[in-house]
Amino acid sequence: MKIFNSQLFKLEFKRSFKGLMVWSLSLGLTMYLVVILYPFVIDMYAAIPPEFYDIMNSFGGIPDTIMEYFATEGAMMLQIFGAIYAVMEGFQAINRDEREKTVEGLYVLPYKRDVFFFTKFVRITVNVLIFSLINSLLSLIGFWSVSESVEGSLYLLFCVLNTAMYLVIAYLGFALACLLKPNQKTMISMLIPFPLYIISVVSLLTNNSVLQKMKYLTPFTFANSVEILKTDYVFEWENFVFFMILSAIFLVLSLIKFRKREFMV
Amino acid sequence: MSIILVKNLRKYYGENRGLEEASFEVEPGEIFGFIGPNGAGKTTLIRLLLGLIQPTSGLAFIMGKEVKHSFHTLNKDIGYLPGETFFFPEMKGIDVLRFYQKMHKVDEKYFLELVQKLQLDVGKKVSEYSFGNRKKLGIIVAMLHQPKILILDEPTSGLDPLMQQIFLNLLVEEKKRGVTIFLSSHVLSEVEKVCDRIALVRNGTVSRVYTMADIHSDNLKKVILVPPATDFEKIGLRLSKLENDEGHYDFDGDVNILIEFLAIQKYKNVMIRDASLEEIFIDYYKEEDQL
Repeated sequence: MKIFNSQLFKLEFKRSFKGLMVWSLSLGLTMYLVVILYPFVIDMYAAIPPEFYDIMNSFGGIPDTIMEYFATEGAMMLQIFGAIYAVMEGFQAINRDEREKTVEGLYVLPYKRDVFFFTKFVRITVNVLIFSLINSLLSLIGFWSVSESVEGSLYLLFCVLNTAMYLVIAYLGFALACLLKPNQKTMISMLIPFPLYIISVVSLLTNNSVLQKMKYLTPFTFANSVEILKTDYVFEWENFVFFMILSAIFLVLSLIKFRKREFMV
Repeated sequence: MSIILVKNLRKYYGENRGLEEASFEVEPGEIFGFIGPNGAGKTTLIRLLLGLIQPTSGLAFIMGKEVKHSFHTLNKDIGYLPGETFFFPEMKGIDVLRFYQKMHKVDEKYFLELVQKLQLDVGKKVSEYSFGNRKKLGIIVAMLHQPKILILDEPTSGLDPLMQQIFLNLLVEEKKRGVTIFLSSHVLSEVEKVCDRIALVRNGTVSRVYTMADIHSDNLKKVILVPPATDFEKIGLRLSKLENDEGHYDFDGDVNILIEFLAIQKYKNVMIRDASLEEIFIDYYKEEDQL
């Protein structure tokens, strides 16, 4: 059974390409700038009064290396903006056709709904991979520009887990669009990354053991940049497996819902 | 065997009615008009036939297959023109056509022919198209794979009179090729020109199906008398309106009785003509209102 259509993929990819490039390059260049500023901010860190150390420690402490600096200053920004891009990419894969009223022309084509679903799924995955690759490369070019040594394996691990986190968020956005009624505003998709990010920040800042455990409820945990790049890293595999299973469950549910989706303009 | 068969089809969106009840059959190779005012349920019925929405109850079959379960395979043989045509705004017309051509796995010869016939500038972006040009693009997309059935929702709205004529001629050509055409419209003059049969729909219910021959054999006459007649009820003339010094009447009795009645009166002007489809249509809805 054929569930992928290359023509539909090309159309979808072409239509999303401009957005992909705008997001990838703007965020990638921001990361590049953050990284190349490192030599200039070392002195600023030295001047931070000791009373601020507690707050700094909650976000990874004073960085000693460029990688630690990237983990605390760059990667966190990369993750929240990246998650916003990923969720919009996922949500709009379904929502855009409805918003632009092209559904009546598309879904009367002689293909099963599964073909549309899986082709869109593949397109989202490809876009998120390209987005993450461009950001990772531009950050890496930043490291090379300031001639700092980079722990390649740790950086690679961070990029892989960060991409996995983006994919989870994108699939949740995709599922949300399928599960909601047609013609919803894209802003609704922000209900996914923002609460999840806030949960991860709260669980890091708090001393309350119950709130700390909430870190397992967000995919930002398994891709935590400070954990991976700065401290002795322990892979949060329970959190990772939980979100992989959750994404799979939501994708199955959304496929069932998508097969019966009513398309109207 | 009917090419389209609709049995007690009903669609509700929660509490809101889309289509109350529709039952009819469309024969292969005919042009079938689905006529009704805005909000009558015409577009809902079309979306049900295409599998874009699911019925609340009832059945729809196309070429013997139930739409609900087979719409993706049936759509290979269906060309659809929505009431409002929307395509990918940032793409050029030609790229939209190439996309649909590749999705249908057909060559581009026929669509290029249609582009010429409809005089569409395919080098422009869809966002630069007027409503009428988007409609033309929609017509070409619906026809480019030379389907066995054309389902057209308000096909001529937005087209200028010349283009309407070209389009109606195109439909007649398609019919000659054996294509079955199902079109919804409230422009009765276009229906009158091309349809073999029509179904009238009102408040979501298809109540009557007429052949065009039935309509043309309808006895309803429109009579204008100057000055207006007196004692006109006794022969069955029904006053529809008084305008200036003219009396407008409907008459569906024996025309000889009407002539005898007129012969013994003195008039400045008398006009008797067959009612148009539009007038029959309005008459039908008036009757329904009175029931």
